[in-house]
Parts: sequence; structure tokens; C-alpha cells
Amino acid sequence: MKTLTARPARWLRFVALAAPVALLAQEPTREALIEKEREQKAARLRPERVSKWEERIRLVNEKRIPQRLSYGYNGLRAKAGGMITQGGFGIGPEYFREDLLGGRLESQISYQISTRAYQRGVLRLRSRNLAGGRIETEMLSMHHYYPKIQYYGPGPDSQKSLRSNFLLEDNSLDFSLGLSPARGLLLGPSAGFLWINTGPGRDSRFISADALYSPEQVPGIDRQTNFRRYGAFLRFNTLDNAEGPRAGGFYLFQFNRYDDRRYSAYGFHLYEADLRQYVPFFNQRRVIALRARTLLTDTDAGETVPFYLQPWLGGSDDLRGFRPFRFRDRNSLLFNAEYRWEIFAGLDMALFADAGKVFPRRGQLNFSRLEKSGGFGFRANVRNRTFLRLDFAFSREGFQAWFKFNDIFPSRPLGASSTQPYQ
Amino acid sequence: MKKLLLILAAAATLQAQKFYPDDPLLAEPPPRDAGKPARRKLSDWYDLFWHILATPGEKQPKIGPPIRARNVNTLGDPMDGAWYVRRHYWRRMTIEELRRGAGGAAPPVLPWTVVAAKGEGITPGFTVIDATKRRFFIKLDPISNPEMMTAAEVISARFFHALGYHVADEYIVEFHPKDLRIQDRLTFVNQHGIERPFTPRNLTELLLKAPRLPGGRYRAVASLALEGRPLGPFRWFGTRADDPNDTIPHEHRRELRAAHVFFAWLSHDDSRAINTLDTLVTRGGKTHIRHHLLDFGSTLGSGSDKPNSPRSGAYHFSWRESAVQMASLGFVIPYWAKARYPRFPSIGLFEWQVFDPEKWLPEYPNPALLNRLPDDEFWAAKQVMHFTDEEIRAIVRTGSLSDPAAEDYLVRCLIERRNKIGRACFRKVLPIDRFELRGGELVFEDLAARHGLPSPAPYKISWRDFDNATETPGASLGGGPRIPAAASPYIMAEITAPRRPGQAVRVWLHQGRVVGVEYAW
Repeated sequence: MKTLTARPARWLRFVALAAPVALLAQEPTREALIEKEREQKAARLRPERVSKWEERIRLVNEKRIPQRLSYGYNGLRAKAGGMITQGGFGIGPEYFREDLLGGRLESQISYQISTRAYQRGVLRLRSRNLAGGRIETEMLSMHHYYPKIQYYGPGPDSQKSLRSNFLLEDNSLDFSLGLSPARGLLLGPSAGFLWINTGPGRDSRFISADALYSPEQVPGIDRQTNFRRYGAFLRFNTLDNAEGPRAGGFYLFQFNRYDDRRYSAYGFHLYEADLRQYVPFFNQRRVIALRARTLLTDTDAGETVPFYLQPWLGGSDDLRGFRPFRFRDRNSLLFNAEYRWEIFAGLDMALFADAGKVFPRRGQLNFSRLEKSGGFGFRANVRNRTFLRLDFAFSREGFQAWFKFNDIFPSRPLGASSTQPYQ
Repeated sequence: MKKLLLILAAAATLQAQKFYPDDPLLAEPPPRDAGKPARRKLSDWYDLFWHILATPGEKQPKIGPPIRARNVNTLGDPMDGAWYVRRHYWRRMTIEELRRGAGGAAPPVLPWTVVAAKGEGITPGFTVIDATKRRFFIKLDPISNPEMMTAAEVISARFFHALGYHVADEYIVEFHPKDLRIQDRLTFVNQHGIERPFTPRNLTELLLKAPRLPGGRYRAVASLALEGRPLGPFRWFGTRADDPNDTIPHEHRRELRAAHVFFAWLSHDDSRAINTLDTLVTRGGKTHIRHHLLDFGSTLGSGSDKPNSPRSGAYHFSWRESAVQMASLGFVIPYWAKARYPRFPSIGLFEWQVFDPEKWLPEYPNPALLNRLPDDEFWAAKQVMHFTDEEIRAIVRTGSLSDPAAEDYLVRCLIERRNKIGRACFRKVLPIDRFELRGGELVFEDLAARHGLPSPAPYKISWRDFDNATETPGASLGGGPRIPAAASPYIMAEITAPRRPGQAVRVWLHQGRVVGVEYAW
């Protein structure tokens, strides 16, 4: 049987002769060429498809999976992170609603347990948009069980090698009322109760603080008490964006009185000033962020400040070149300065310098003997909100790396509860 | 065998001619029936990262001749069709036509029935059916920037329409909440991803995010739903696999490459696929796919829900720039960061002093925009320069900006940016166009001179025979504007300017008319 494939030369000769003849018979046109291309395309049409990965990502976005996970089932969801420094990764259930009373009440109830056996419970009720936003009220109740808090001893001269730990367990209930007579200004009173229990630290790698220090050295280490606390705050806020500010200022002044309700021995006054200023330039793509913060305590006759309520420095949010809770005393002074610049949309770099000290007497509120640290870091942000921070800091005590999910100067609650060292 | 090869070569030569009898084609041939293609959705996030990290599509070769735009006729223009229609530059539109845009004569009629609403995002919006049963998409301004997004949307839609693209018919409208009805059993997905009934309270909450006018009214932009069935966005590279008429890779389409210049002019830096839409249009019982540009709310200094980022004119991310910023500790200041913006809440961040069309970039590497060549840019720039100051002002007025100073500023920005574009793009090729034969001479327009920009004139014309079959120039026929007598049916004029060595324009004549134009650089 003779086939075309068996006689390719003859077949090709026929096509080669016929094709030009056909073309000459019908002069080709541009339109015919375009039509021919379309015809060829039509012969290989197939449905438009996207890659599996693109389809998955689209569905995640379209079905709003992140939002659903974030909101949970009718407000019931998992809460992850947010534990105190060195507390490990905390996770637990949370019930969060912001639509109660027609959107005028926000509620949050959560309880987390961490990989280091830390526990943290929160019950918060907060008003929203009262009197056109001129009134803010909040009820906050917290429970902490922090079994391994590090303690290096009292005073600015404590030694890094004398590392111990202790257990802190507390419950608190506080109320605050904020009035906003002018834009950016908020002031008001707050009051509440704090029940504290301390005990031997559960970190077997380090000695327990109560075994290393006497009650004379570390007041409050031997007995527990509870407090009534009350005070007032004044905040002036001109930040352009609370969660990732690039311009404006934040100035907070607070006074609180802690009354020891059991022994009348551990009461004290606490004064706080927290001043932050952001200086933007080059269309806010360069920012100098500054903070000065001091916590000062004062006691009446026969009173002392218990060690677990003393201000401390060291860690990811203040003296970044030092270990967490590295310095502790009755007073503290802190300065932070950061120069930030944009690497690309969504990532800033920062050079920073920290200086601060703790000190026993208020008269030592000066610039002498400041501990210093410096370093560099990265700040990732989405829609102008800093959601990730990576800092590398150096000090006379070595190097520290911090991986955090907040801004270096995080937003913070107001009122008596905010002055508690361990949140 | 030799004979056979000669015959094959002759046949191939016959196919490879430069001009065909119907050149230049001004409109695409009638489209083939596209059948019933399915809707294809893209992931915005995937698209963003894919383009940032990999930049798909066929790129210009690093060595060798560049890939010129492939969808143009022999005059260098895209043909009227599913992607593009030659408008203002080719036939000056009247002020009224420019103001009307893609429709402009039939705004939505109150009352409206809300048939869809979005519960997420900061910018409020919903879909309505108006009293004449037409579907409109309603978007409102952010509360911080009244008039900004709505004005940008309407103004840019008119510019892009005049520039030849298929766009939606857009209107600035005002309404009172009392003019809105909610469709029975309407649901929406709230910000937590939960589907809920859409109630009057939800509508009130949605409107709370928008600036309120005196009398409780609201200003919005109403976009008439596009004709045809939506098929999803088009990509800025490749072709649709289900469209028989989509044969040219999008990264090689002139109107898409040249869009870079238009986008720079109007600060349309959000040039992602998400801001485009294909629709299946039926004509005479046949279907075909039409390609549109959409969503101009992030133009002219607006960022839709806020003023545009000061990064406007730079990629979100690039390896090189990031490395420079890291290594320099931020002391190398990008040009865009030096811009100064006057405070016009209704405009956002838009300016002309720092604007540099040579440096301007969209938010991510767009394959079509990246492939643009000097002739693509010139093709776009001549259209931008074609808008007179008066025409620009007329279009800006469609944005109904209540602050005359803001309107003046926006007009000034557009004029100055237009002039910068002309200066930049007219430098790269000889800025001449509108070739015609008049009185036995080849005449053309020097666009640089016409617009008061530096012109490379005088020009020199030299003539040659042209063999259409082999696409090769033949014997020299002398010089000067007068058309010489020639032996072959095609002749070619090569126009050069001593001040611009290396730049040339080749113009082909056939049977007493211009059939081809090509720019060289």
C-alpha cells in the first residue's frame, strides 16, 4: 500500500508547487494573516486556568479565612502570643466582641498558658464611642501566674552572674474613666485592687531569689500582701497612627498610690512620665523616634516598695542590650532614640541607642551612670501598623536579639493597672 | 531537490512581505466567536508577589534587536478593537465629548435599591440598581479626604477614555440615605468574614465611614456596570487561553506597554491585574471578549481610602533599591521622597516638581510596561501632549472639586507633568508624525516644535526604492521633500536630523499614500 509517508518527496513536491499557486490566485492580505493567527489559536483553545497555588491563595482571601480565624466563632477564638518577655509562647481561648450594646461595649475574656507554664488571664470591658468619643471607661481584671521571673538583685550595681528567679502570682481588678475635653487630650481617675503572691522560682537552672536574698535586701520577698490602688492620668496624644506612628507626640503623666491593705508596710506613691516624639522627614520615609520615660516612687514613713512592684529595665522594650529584668530599683529613667528609614514598602530599618538606669533615691534622677546599649533592627509593617520587630542590640554585657510583634514604644493601657511592672 | 527548495523559498518569500494590499488596517478584523469562556479569578496577593519576585512574560532581549510592539498596524497604531479605539489624538474630541467620557449622559436615577454591599475595608461601597433598572457600583470618599477618590476616579476615567481605552461610564452623584432601599433578604460578609443580613443599621454604619454633605447627603462615584458578562481581570502578559482573538502576548501590545506613560502622567501606580476586567460582549449573535481598565480611585494623588503613598513612583520592592537603602543607612534619598505636597485633602499626594517620567515606576514590575520601547513611549507621549490646557481643565472639572484652589492645582500638576513627559519622550525618537502627501511632497508635523519643546529640526529626507517582497531598500532616489519617481511600487523615505544622530523615521509610500511608518533610535 502506498501512503503519503511512504513517498514524502512526491508529496512535498506537490504541496510546494500548489501553495504558491494558491497564494498567487488569492493575494494575501493583512486581515487574512490576522484571521489565520486566530484560526490557529482557535484550534488550541483551552479554559483559562490559574495555578493551584494562586487558586488556593485566592480562596483563602476570598473566603476571608484569616478574618474568620481572627474573629473565630461568634467571637470565640484562639489567642496566641502576647505573653510577657521570656514567658514563652502562650496560647489559649479568647472570647472577643466589639459589637455589644449596639457597638458601644467591647469585651475580651481570655486565658493563655505558655510553653514555659506561664498563665495569663484577662477580663476586659471597655466602652466605645460614648458621648461622641469624649468618654472612655474600662474595667480590667487580670490574673498572672509567672513562675520563672528573673531577678538579678536590687540596685544599679547588681551583677549579671547573680541571676535568680522567683514566682509571681497576682490578681487585679481596676476601673478607669477617661474624659476628653479636647482633641488628643484624655484625663481621668482610676482605681482598683491588686492581690499578690510571690514564691520560690520554678526555673531549676537558677537559684530561687528567696534563697539568695534576704527580706532586708529584697523587701516583700518573704510575705505576700494585697493592695488598693488609685490615681489619675493625663495623656496628650497627637500621633498620626497609634500602631505605627511616624509623626506626632505622645505625652503621658500618671500618679498612683498603692495602699498595702494587710501590713501597711509596702504602700508607696508612683509617678510616671512617658514622653514620645516622632520627627519625620522626607515624606515620613525617615523618622527619628524619641522617648524619655521615668518611674519614680515615694513612700511614707515606715513604708517600702516591694521588689516585685519596683520599676525594672532591660529587655526588648527599653534597654535592649541587656537581659530582660536586668536592673531593678525604686526608680528608673530611660531614654530611647531611633533613626528609622524605609528599605522598601513594608520594611523599615532602624539604628537605635538606649540609655537608662535604676536608682534607689529620687535625688539621683540625673544623667550620671546611665547604662547604654545600641544596635540596629528591622520593622515590618502592613498598612502603617508595625507587626514585627527584629532588633540586634549590644551593651557592655554582650549581645541580645529580639523578635517582637509590637512597636518599640507600644501603645499601652492607662490607669492604675498600667503601672504594674508585669503585664 | 534544488528545484524544490527554490520553490519553497519563493513561497516563503511571498508570505514574508512587509506590506499587504489592505495595509494600513485601522480596525481589527471582525472578531471570531469566543464561545462561552468561563470566568477566571486571580489572586491579588499571588499576582503581586509573582510580579515582584519573578516578573512573568517575555522580556526584551538583553542583546540583539528589541521586540517591537506586535499588535500595531503598519503606521504603528493599535487597531480599533477589543483593546483599544483611536480617539482624541486621531480626531480631536470636543470639550463636551471629553467631559462625557465613556457615556456621561445617563447618570443613575434615584431611588436606588442596594443589591450588594461590602462590609470589609475602609472605603465604603455598595452596588445598586437604579430606578431605570441599571446596575451601578457606588463608592464613597474616605472620611479624611472628601472628594479625593471620587474626583480621581471620574477624572482619570475620562482621560483614559480619551486616550483610547475601554473604561466604565462614571458619574459623580449625590444621594440621601432616604433614597436607598435595601433588597429583600440581602446579606453581606462583615469584616470578620461572617455572612450576615444587611440591615439599615449596616447601611448607616457603612455611610458613617464617608464624609457627609450638608443636608445629610453623600457624594459618591457611580460606575455603570460594564456591558457583557464579567470574565475576570486580564493579565499584563501572555494571552487568554480561551480567547481565539487574543493572539498577541499582552506584554507586546503597544497600548499596554505605552500605558506606562499614561500611568505616570496620572499617577496611576496601582497597575495590577486587579484593576482591569474582561467582559464577554455579544454582537450579532457572536461573542467576543473586550478588555477594560478599571478602578481609577488610586490616581491623581488619591490612594482610594487615604492619600496616595509618598512612595508613588517607585516599586513596593526592588532588590537593588533595597540593597542601596540598607547599605547607605538611608542616607541615599530616593527622588520621590523629596517631593513637597501642598495640603489639599481633596487631592492627596500629587505634584509635578519632583515628578520625573524617566524615573517613575508603578507599584510593581508590570511586564507590559517594562517592555516599552522609545517608539511605544513616543506613541503615548504624543497623545498626552495632544491635550490642551483647556481640555485638561475641562476634564478636571468633571471631578466637581469644591475648592477652586485644589482644582487649579490639579490642572497645573497635569499640565506640568504633561510637559515633562513630552520633553522626556520626544528626545528618544524624532518627534515627527502625521505624515501625508501634499502637492507632490512628503509633509509631516514636528510635534516638538508644535508644543514648544526643543526640536531637532532641520530634518533631512532621503528616498530609496523598496522591495516589498524582500523587505529591503533598493537604489537611492535622491533627497528632499519632493516624492521622486520610482521603478518599484513602494518607496521609502528616511527622515533624519543631524542633531540626533542614530534617530530616524522611515516612511513607506505606495500608490500615492502613506502605508508605513517606523521609528528607529
